Amino acid sequence: MIKALKIIGIIIGILIAAYALLILNFNGPIKPKHIPKKGVFEHSAHYIDPEKALLNEGFEVCDENFILQYYNPERATYSKGKNGLRNFVLSNYKSNNYTDSGYLNIRFIINCKGEAGRYIIHENNLDLEPQIFNKDLVAQLFKITTQLKNWNPNFFHNEHRDSYMYISYRIENGEITEIIP
Amino acid sequence: MEKSPKSFLSLLFLLLIISCSDKKEDPLVILEYGKNYQGSTRSLNALKKVTELDGTNSEAYRELSIPYLKRGLPHLWKKHMDKSIELNAKEWQGYRGYNYLWFYRDYKKAIADFNALDTITPNFIDAPQGHSVDYWRGIAYLGLKDYKNSIHYFDKYIEKETKDTGEDWVEMTAFLYEGIAHYENKNDTLALRSINKLLKYSNNNYADGNYYKALFLEKKGNYKDALELTNLAIENYKEGYYNYRPYVETLRQIYMEDLLLLKERLSKKQPI
Repeated sequence: MIKALKIIGIIIGILIAAYALLILNFNGPIKPKHIPKKGVFEHSAHYIDPEKALLNEGFEVCDENFILQYYNPERATYSKGKNGLRNFVLSNYKSNNYTDSGYLNIRFIINCKGEAGRYIIHENNLDLEPQIFNKDLVAQLFKITTQLKNWNPNFFHNEHRDSYMYISYRIENGEITEIIP
Repeated sequence: MEKSPKSFLSLLFLLLIISCSDKKEDPLVILEYGKNYQGSTRSLNALKKVTELDGTNSEAYRELSIPYLKRGLPHLWKKHMDKSIELNAKEWQGYRGYNYLWFYRDYKKAIADFNALDTITPNFIDAPQGHSVDYWRGIAYLGLKDYKNSIHYFDKYIEKETKDTGEDWVEMTAFLYEGIAHYENKNDTLALRSINKLLKYSNNNYADGNYYKALFLEKKGNYKDALELTNLAIENYKEGYYNYRPYVETLRQIYMEDLLLLKERLSKKQPI
């Protein structure tokens, strides 16, 4: 009788332990705390897939697991400042009778050495909906943006760090009307 | 082994407690959790979870929009921001206007949102992001180079603030931007009045204020005093006393090179 009770006890114990592990697995520290049922985010908002990025070959980030944003904590900036960046872009850009309007955004990484790479392009109209720009316009602005070579890297905890950066060109009838941020 | 059944009963009791302590998921608790580590997967997933638990939670959608706003992904910002307004326009329409104003430099859309907010809350002046919609409208019209309307809204904002709390409570940049609007509108007398207010409330330590005042003096041919103010502006700038914003460049932002160019020009007119 006692032996039978022991066996039943062991079985119940194993079942309960398995159930407890299941609970912890979903709600405890083992996995992220809150997971939606649909549309799970596999990556952060700023993630740029190195496989899909432009000019990523030969470009190295210093720490893949710790890439800041350009605005924190000591901003990553263009070596010649915003005025220098604006002057460079506007003096090299030719509107070539383009009729496009919208936001051409180019996101990239400034590594801890102040080098830029891993670019990705987003094209939206002035209502911020995806659209396709004139290919020549995109190629021209991409080339100009990648010619912005020397950046001041972010600085945090006594070290230069990698940062995500973006440049948004607001374009109206082929003319650049704003360079953000 | 003799004590095994007792041990298992204890374990059973303990695990039952753990199991029962697994509370029903509270969207508001998860929302607070999701506000941390903005833009990370843990944040995005938690906020998305909130929208699943409570599809009317406008703040969760607003929170989801912010990382895309700051990272240059406009279409994803818009998707979530518009949803938050669909759920609660009174709460978020002004905030979207503020976003359009600074992050997209879409002054017309910004003004449309501020005006829409006025319609939702008649006879009340809202203050998205801590400032009156009239102050924001003044900046947006300055962006549009519509100086008459810009001055109108800055006047309205300053008058109300002065009446309600006193002129020293007016946001200092309202004097600066209004001064710039007057300056562009070719009214140097009113421009100087606004800039003098800015300098009064900043104890003369504001690079933008001293820079514009130097420009007025230069126009009048008073190069000596203009140069002196430019030098002061350079010192102010070095000490961080100038107009700038986090995340994005501010409207009519001045830079050290602007000050140095003015200094060089004035130095030629007024040898040191």
